[in-house]
Amino acid sequence: MYQYSEQDKQFLVERVDQFEKQLERHLSGELDEAKFRSLRLRNGLYMELHAHMLRIAIPYGILSSDQLRALADVADKYDRGFGHFTTRQNIQFNWIQLPEIANLLRDLTDAGLHAIQTSGKATRNITADPLSGLTEGEIEDARPYCELIRRWFNLHPEFSWLPGKFKIAINGAKYDETALRIHDLGLRLVRNDNGELGFSVFVGGGLGAAAMVAAETASFVPVVDILSYLESALRIYNLKGRRDHQKKLRIKFLVRELGAAEFSRLVNEDWQQTKDDPELKLNLNELESLKKDFALPVGPINFDGFKETVDFNYSIWKKNNVRSHKVAGHSIVNISLTKLGSAPGDATSEQMRILATLADEFSSGEIRTTKRQTIVFPFVRKDQVFDLWKSLEQYGLSSPHQGTLAQIVACPGRDYCDLAKAVSIPIATRVQERFNDMNKLLDIGDLNINISGCENSCAHHHIADIGLLGMQKNGEEYYQITLAGETLRETNIGKKLGPSVSGELIVDAVEDIVNVYIDNRQDEERFTDVFKRIGIKPFKEKVYG
Amino acid sequence: MDEIKNPISLINKDYETINLVTFEEWLEDSEQLSKLGVGVILDPSNDVGLIKDSLDVIELIALDFRNFDDGRGYSQAYFLSKRWKFSGEIIGINAHLDQLQFMIRSGITSYQLLESYKGFNEEDYSNGFSICYQAAANNKGLNLQY
Repeated sequence: MYQYSEQDKQFLVERVDQFEKQLERHLSGELDEAKFRSLRLRNGLYMELHAHMLRIAIPYGILSSDQLRALADVADKYDRGFGHFTTRQNIQFNWIQLPEIANLLRDLTDAGLHAIQTSGKATRNITADPLSGLTEGEIEDARPYCELIRRWFNLHPEFSWLPGKFKIAINGAKYDETALRIHDLGLRLVRNDNGELGFSVFVGGGLGAAAMVAAETASFVPVVDILSYLESALRIYNLKGRRDHQKKLRIKFLVRELGAAEFSRLVNEDWQQTKDDPELKLNLNELESLKKDFALPVGPINFDGFKETVDFNYSIWKKNNVRSHKVAGHSIVNISLTKLGSAPGDATSEQMRILATLADEFSSGEIRTTKRQTIVFPFVRKDQVFDLWKSLEQYGLSSPHQGTLAQIVACPGRDYCDLAKAVSIPIATRVQERFNDMNKLLDIGDLNINISGCENSCAHHHIADIGLLGMQKNGEEYYQITLAGETLRETNIGKKLGPSVSGELIVDAVEDIVNVYIDNRQDEERFTDVFKRIGIKPFKEKVYG
Repeated sequence: MDEIKNPISLINKDYETINLVTFEEWLEDSEQLSKLGVGVILDPSNDVGLIKDSLDVIELIALDFRNFDDGRGYSQAYFLSKRWKFSGEIIGINAHLDQLQFMIRSGITSYQLLESYKGFNEEDYSNGFSICYQAAANNKGLNLQY
């Protein structure tokens, strides 16, 4: 699998050295809070309700077993023995002491891990489908492109002080697991009529209080020209983006104010000046080299006549948690970390070490993280899936909830976050308690429930089948419900159901919604398809009737 | 115009004093001012494209980096230096120590730090990295990784 070179690691060390000096100046009073804030965020460091939170990038959601062990060591040495896998290919540590940050980051450089640009007003780490390279029908594995683009915008001299944060996602798969059109900029790998590879570019998406779907600004940018195109888009944003209004900093507001056509025209006008600059062409030799680094570590194996072990619990877990692999004889195994009452995505250092050991034994030493805050073993041999399940069961990691309603995505909520207006995790727990019958869960099938504690929308409630947004009303916690958000086949922001519902009644409302779905579903129809066919009215009547 | 009101001056690399005019003053009377050999001071909000055609008669351009989080000056520097190959000096004024590396790589040819940074060793901040990952106006001394 792809690993950082010695030079890349040297760069990480230099970045830590620089940040350490800034930290020392801040602690001695020489660097004021406003400037330090801007600098620390660029190094992934937040001030939270109780302590400092550090966000480490997990590029493209991929970790080696050694990297996962390094994260476990950090959890023990600098935190309270756990970390939190986010929805956007990062891991966060919530109990970090300021004077220890540099040592922590230095410990991670050896494993090729870092926190560069995981926050702040710069290009963030680029996200890709966590199943990149594994599924049928993929146009192209997005990861080598992600990596070249990530490098290019790493401490970019022109674009490191943007009006707001800038998130990029790239999808090369048939279905869009990256939700690219809710990103500031999304790239979709496509082939033109001549079979040449390029990108469709979408700009101005985002969630939050003003959720927007990104507009297409270019239908085909040849692969070799993508860096110059991205520079032009960022240049227009850097120069014209709103800097005067805290709530209008993101590029979506600029695209809305100018209109997508005018924004595209400005980008294109700038791009015509630079697209032929040889310095801005994507390095195709490096691309080929990266393709080799990202090549799959396994080849096809013939298991004709293989007999799967018969076991009731195993078969339920397998149905929900195991997916087919494009390489014959292999499976993709999803592992849920969710336990009742704990934050989705939380993992203890012990769990991380167990997963690292199991990944070495069963998955070529590779682990991936998903936006549903689960762990994926990408290369499990078909004849070893049962043995893996037995091991997972032994360690309490064999929850069969993946792909069911019980695999809820929730932000830390008011229990941990000073921005949150309402709790998230206790609501998730109550929903899980309500739907604790596995037969019922299997009957309902794959249905997303996402719970955000405030409009920052960290749990992406807008793009869930059922989205809950926490808010305050007369000093009490209420939840606004949105239905039928989706990104996989097309991108739609969830529709508001009606007035927000109190914390006390919200789980009843969720159950009502699920029941309307079940009662109206035809065959294997998905939630969004039922919603499109019957409309919002039956859901409204059931919840508010 | 035969003299500049309330002149602000900068010392250029040849230790000459150059008088500066604001962007608006320049646009108002560029013909006369160009004869005096002045520099132009740009605010981050100024459209640098408006002086593109007179770059050959401007001695020096000063870009203001006072606001720590305002990155527009880096794009202004890019246009002047890389895109339009401005041959005069581009001075980053009201500069911040922690941004020197970005300013230099964007094409700033010299800088004037804010008063509050007096006493710091600038070298510590302008030479922090040995590697860069992208083409830029000035990648001198860096190991190119792209």
